[in-house]
Amino acid sequence: MYVVSGFSRTCQNEPMPPKVIVQNLKKRYDGVEAARGVSFEIRDGEIFGLIGPNGAGKTTTVECVIGLREPDEGVIEVCGIDARRRPREVKERIGAALQTTALQDKITPREALTLFGAFYRQKAEPAALLERFALLEKADAPFDTLSGGQRQRLALALAFVNKPELVFLDEPTAGLDPLSRRELHGEIAKMKDDGHTVLFTTHYLIEAEALCDRIAIIDRGCIVATGTPRELIARSSAATTVYLATVQRLEREWLEQIPGVEGLSCEGTSARFRSASVRTTVAEVMKQLEIRGIEIAELRVSKATLEDVFLEITGREG
Amino acid sequence: MQALLNQLGISLRLHARNKMALLYSYLFPTIFLVAFWVLYRFEQVPLVRHVGELLTVTALGGACFGLPTTMVSERERGVWRRYRLTPVSTATLVAGTVIARYLLLVIAGLLQLVLAMALGMPVPGHPFELFLAFTCVAFAFIGLGLVIAMMADNVPAVQALGQCIFLPMLIIGGVAVPLASLPDWAQRLSAFFPGRYAVEALQACVTGNGLGAAGFSVLALVLIGAAGCLAGAKMFRWDAEQRFSATPGKAWVAVALAAWVAVGVLAESQDRKPKVPGTLAAKVPGTLAEVPGTLVQPAPPPVTTAPIQNPNPVPEPAPAEIPSDTSKVPSPTPSKPTTATEAPSAPEPPSRSTATPGTSPPASWRDVTMADIERDLIFTRLPPDSGVVTPIAPLGEEPDENTAAQLDKMRLALTDWKPGKVADPVQRVRNFLFVAAVPDVFQMQDLERFVPMVVYERIQDDIPKDDLIKILYWIATHPFDGDDKAVDELRPLGLFSGPADMEQTRGRLSVYAVKLLGRITGKIVPE
Repeated sequence: MYVVSGFSRTCQNEPMPPKVIVQNLKKRYDGVEAARGVSFEIRDGEIFGLIGPNGAGKTTTVECVIGLREPDEGVIEVCGIDARRRPREVKERIGAALQTTALQDKITPREALTLFGAFYRQKAEPAALLERFALLEKADAPFDTLSGGQRQRLALALAFVNKPELVFLDEPTAGLDPLSRRELHGEIAKMKDDGHTVLFTTHYLIEAEALCDRIAIIDRGCIVATGTPRELIARSSAATTVYLATVQRLEREWLEQIPGVEGLSCEGTSARFRSASVRTTVAEVMKQLEIRGIEIAELRVSKATLEDVFLEITGREG
Repeated sequence: MQALLNQLGISLRLHARNKMALLYSYLFPTIFLVAFWVLYRFEQVPLVRHVGELLTVTALGGACFGLPTTMVSERERGVWRRYRLTPVSTATLVAGTVIARYLLLVIAGLLQLVLAMALGMPVPGHPFELFLAFTCVAFAFIGLGLVIAMMADNVPAVQALGQCIFLPMLIIGGVAVPLASLPDWAQRLSAFFPGRYAVEALQACVTGNGLGAAGFSVLALVLIGAAGCLAGAKMFRWDAEQRFSATPGKAWVAVALAAWVAVGVLAESQDRKPKVPGTLAAKVPGTLAEVPGTLVQPAPPPVTTAPIQNPNPVPEPAPAEIPSDTSKVPSPTPSKPTTATEAPSAPEPPSRSTATPGTSPPASWRDVTMADIERDLIFTRLPPDSGVVTPIAPLGEEPDENTAAQLDKMRLALTDWKPGKVADPVQRVRNFLFVAAVPDVFQMQDLERFVPMVVYERIQDDIPKDDLIKILYWIATHPFDGDDKAVDELRPLGLFSGPADMEQTRGRLSVYAVKLLGRITGKIVPE
């Protein structure tokens, strides 16, 4: 069964070429190398997260892919089209919401959707988009009267104005309040359900972990890790952390001896360590405690998060 | 196409919602016009003479400030960056913006014209050509606006750059200050600014001979506009982050400027005299120094005539502060929009010549002697023939084709002209002289300089020489006698009906009387 299902999966995936292929993308401005050979692929129908610290090259990479910037070097293929040679063809098929989308003060959401729709061969009904992005009541209000969340929703609606195959969202949740952010998460999840491929950048790691099928971590202009959130965490040496509190005093010496214990910190009746193989390590710890007659007050095992992985890889906060 | 129309529609709609933009585009030109009218309401400066300047200022303001302000502020806030995410081409977006601006300018121009006509301006001589001329002017200034939009990194920079072009153009570029009152170097410099060509082209279609007579100006405007649009396209920036100093195409500014220089050099090489005589600021009422008093010799004993005589030799385009002559002084009452027919009720200047003690002035035109002429008239103090007031083209100069055709028609029409058939020879000559005086008051380019000689030929054919000498003297010294109904019968001659300011018109008439008298008696030998 396992073999069969695995095989059939390969068969399904094979004929679908990646939606985006980026190879060795390089971009330098004012002497700073913002992208130093970025490579990644985005598969059809997935939500792909590009995460990295500020200034890592996220936005530069996305802007090169969507045709806002001309890269110095590299291959960019979007929906099977050479994006550097035929940027207009690519633009017909993609939608994008930038970090901040500011429109003219007096334009209304309905007018903006009609205007932008006119720029494409294929277009969605403004009324449908207004409804989908909960903008109906503000449909005829000038842009300068919209709240931050409403503006962001309008930016998303604009990204969908051409019924895109692929959607780019650059830090879509930056600066939004928690409620708006949660609404947006729902929207992004819905995009996937509707069959859109989505690339989004963020520095909220929880967001990436929760929403993305696959993630690429970018740092100092290079992709330093790619995979599903689970793969990244599993691959990480950050592994799992164990917290232990006892009634009697703990001694560092014997704890250190236990196989699998790493990064031990031990003080009085509490200890904390990491382990790549939690089950065997914890079993050994329990055995030793039993032998030494030490009672357990608390034992807690905590899985590594994407944040731990991120910190380990980049050595910085997101 | 759909993208272009949508972009155009949105641009217009947003403009209509932007109060500041409306203020700039429509209220300012209107205020300008109304201010002009209020200031000179009682002076009867013919508005029709200044429409070229008013329209130029309107186009210049809208294209030099309005267009780049819109473009730069949209770029600054990221609208253009957002546009760039779509497959729409730069050309489409810029075309939408530019066409919208052109339409806004046309509307502002029309508004100004309609308002001017409501204030009494006659219908422009060549309405369709005026529209074409305005289009050329808008094109030239929109090109300029695009260059400013690409050079300016932010909205304050638009204001700064715009003023750098706007103000010099107004002051030494022949838009707001008359070229004739500028020093020679400034007149030469003005040939390098498009404003002057804009005024020339527009004015030619209002009071002149139409676009055909302003070919060079049209060429200059189109050249300057094309260079501006090209440079603007080459320097186009989507993103406010990209500074002008870092724009690869910034050298294209030189192309835009090269067009100005090329036009200026071309104009210099053709030695084109400024065609625009008076302008907004200065072609104001006072141009009356020509009123006859100045030409009449002060008699030996102190003159006891009631009015003060202007001691100055007739200045060319008299600045406003020169005291108006006699006939104006007593009548500053606001309620006096003199219509042509009422004019003769003005003070009685003839008293000035009759009240001269010591010599007895002739009692009737038949009694005039050469001694009277020698005594009372100063031929050396006349406004120069090449000047703004009472010009006469030099003998050898040929009018251009259009003007020549118009003059031929006029010659023909003069033979059947009713006011040229009246019995009283003085009135007859007076009527003929009005034909020369009215185009002068209206400053009808080209035409005004040639009509006097046509009139001269006509009156020489009509009146025996001896009588003509006496009559011209009589008219010169009695400018306010007789009737002036003839000014309302000028249409058959291809002229506008008479100006409202009959005093000024009669003043010009008397100067022409002296000038022609000088020619017929040999006191004046034309160059």
